[in-house]
Amino acid sequence: MNEFLYGVLPYIALTIFVGGTIVRYTVFERNWTTKSSEFLSKHDLKWAGPIFHIGLLMAFGGHCIGILVPKFVTEAAGTDEHMYHMISLAGGLPAAVLFLGGFLWLMKRRFAGSDRMAVNTSSMDKVLYLVLFLTILSGTIGTLSNIPGSFDYRESISPWFRSVLMLQPDITLMEHVPPVFQFHMLMWMMTAILFPFTRLVHCLSFPFEYLFRSNIIYRKK
Amino acid sequence: MKIKAQISMVMNLDKCIGCHTCSITCKNVWTNRQGAEYMYFNNVETKPGIGYPKHWENQEKWKGGWELKNGELRLRSGSRVERLAKLFYHPDQPEMDDYYEPWTYDYETLINTKRKNHQPVARPRSLITQKRMEIQWGPNWEDDLADGQSARQDYNLQNIGNDIAMEFHDLFMKYLPRLCNHCLNPACVAACPSGAIYKRDEDGVVLVSQDGCRGWRHCVPACPYKKVYFNWKTNKAEKCIFCFPRLESGLPTVCSDTCVGRLRYMGVLLYDMDKVKAAASTKNKEEIYTSVLGIIQDPHDPEVLAAARKEGIPENWLKAAQESPVYRMIKEWQIALPLHPEYRTLPMVWYVPPLSPITRRVEANVYLPSIEEMRIPLSYLAELFAAGNVTVVAKVLQRLLDMRVFMRSRETGEPLSRGLEYPEETYLAMYRLLGIAKYKERFNIPAGLQGKTHEKLRELQGSCGYNCPGGC
Repeated sequence: MNEFLYGVLPYIALTIFVGGTIVRYTVFERNWTTKSSEFLSKHDLKWAGPIFHIGLLMAFGGHCIGILVPKFVTEAAGTDEHMYHMISLAGGLPAAVLFLGGFLWLMKRRFAGSDRMAVNTSSMDKVLYLVLFLTILSGTIGTLSNIPGSFDYRESISPWFRSVLMLQPDITLMEHVPPVFQFHMLMWMMTAILFPFTRLVHCLSFPFEYLFRSNIIYRKK
Repeated sequence: MKIKAQISMVMNLDKCIGCHTCSITCKNVWTNRQGAEYMYFNNVETKPGIGYPKHWENQEKWKGGWELKNGELRLRSGSRVERLAKLFYHPDQPEMDDYYEPWTYDYETLINTKRKNHQPVARPRSLITQKRMEIQWGPNWEDDLADGQSARQDYNLQNIGNDIAMEFHDLFMKYLPRLCNHCLNPACVAACPSGAIYKRDEDGVVLVSQDGCRGWRHCVPACPYKKVYFNWKTNKAEKCIFCFPRLESGLPTVCSDTCVGRLRYMGVLLYDMDKVKAAASTKNKEEIYTSVLGIIQDPHDPEVLAAARKEGIPENWLKAAQESPVYRMIKEWQIALPLHPEYRTLPMVWYVPPLSPITRRVEANVYLPSIEEMRIPLSYLAELFAAGNVTVVAKVLQRLLDMRVFMRSRETGEPLSRGLEYPEETYLAMYRLLGIAKYKERFNIPAGLQGKTHEKLRELQGSCGYNCPGGC
């Protein structure tokens, strides 16, 4: 079972994530959009939208550091385990509050808000909302349950993830991971599988180039 | 000098009867789809009125168009960094209720209802939620000053003070057909984070790439005329496309073609692209109009023609520019004005302001009133078409009056009481173009794409679709 979960499924998920996204971008670019619903229901997006996205960006940054930066690097930089844990909690807890809080707020808006929101909610959106909810919730519970710091994910999950990226998955690393973190693993893979088929793709379109281009664009037919 | 060609339109408001044929034909062709029901690429407003969407002229609310900040031209909605911070929620974006909630009626109940004492009625049903709804506002709620309360809220009335009380004996109104102005300095293009909106190099038509649009929606508030719309079904921005497939075949837009009053004119203008930014940055907003006239170039000037040829503008376009009805009205005769030039987008749809009946106050035994005695106050027209510059509007109206006086004197033989600004031939030409011009005179649009001959298009016909001849 673990072999499939941590040795096979990540590759299925990442393949669909990358391949599906490329296909969607090249073949179906016309439906590549933020799928904004501000036009249909504006007042209740004012705080929920930005709070969710700020929480998301914070959480994303934290995951990048926690997973991609090996432990010996931060230790070489003079951060011991306790200090690292405190720093990660200082960033992670507010991120979790904003991320999950914003998400719940957006859920309320979408499913208990204006009638008009229904036209912006597809079946895929409902599946996505469920999967995202479980992902964020399991991540938050994991963070909260690990406040004492008894479980060091930087000696299990992080090296495992890096081993997956290096195409040499080390499944043994995942043997003693607490269930809630294991569930979190399953859910991010589900999210990755859904990614190319949902509105999530808009995160890849963050318009950095806007800062550098000229004001008026002329284009030949 | 860098010469570019622009397809432009002039509307002679004197002849607009507010029949909405332009809006309806446009809607039937372009926006009768789900997600676009609420959109009117072209709409006709009764002025004074708050318009569609509500209060679109109030840029303190919507932050549309450009402003001068320390002499620098920038979008009113803020710097680029500030705008990227609004990606997750745009405080200035209009929502559906600012336009109206589109509806249909339960027509079926008229046929299917069981036999009853009372007649069945077709009740309204929302086209968005498909549920029963109460109609609160519609796309043309203020037609002919209906809903008199909103007319008083017209933003242009705020600026001209109390002397224009909306009292019954001096009530005035006019119609204002509006569509995308295909501006020379379009704010929507500058505001698009994805770079999906562009000005077409060949003819200046402003288009939204439906592939490139990511639905960030910044174009919608950025356009001071509120002529970019958000499609809630496809989640992409849409706007008037100036009927470019028709333009490419040498035909005018649908709204122009079907105009019952024949008040629309279309043709080519040549302008100097290098001077656009300077014109848009004119310090005094009342002088922007004059600056725009300065960048529109004389198509008979050999120097301009040489520069245009250098830019690859084909001969049939140059010929069309020389015979352009809009060039004559805008630049030669100076009887057309841009709508709200103070937004600094340099709109390329122009308006001949309307003459209007004499006010009751000065009711006297005169056949033609002087411009100050007209029912629509000069200051109101100046707010609409000249950033408050009354002199500009007065001059234009005087030219139109002179034409009438001149034509009248030809019929009656009465001598003219004052000298004319232009030679007689000009007034005759003006009379012909404004009064009785035929289709071919009103519209002079060069067919075919730049650099592609008709033969080439025919060769491509059926091979890869018309949407990308030669390009796919």
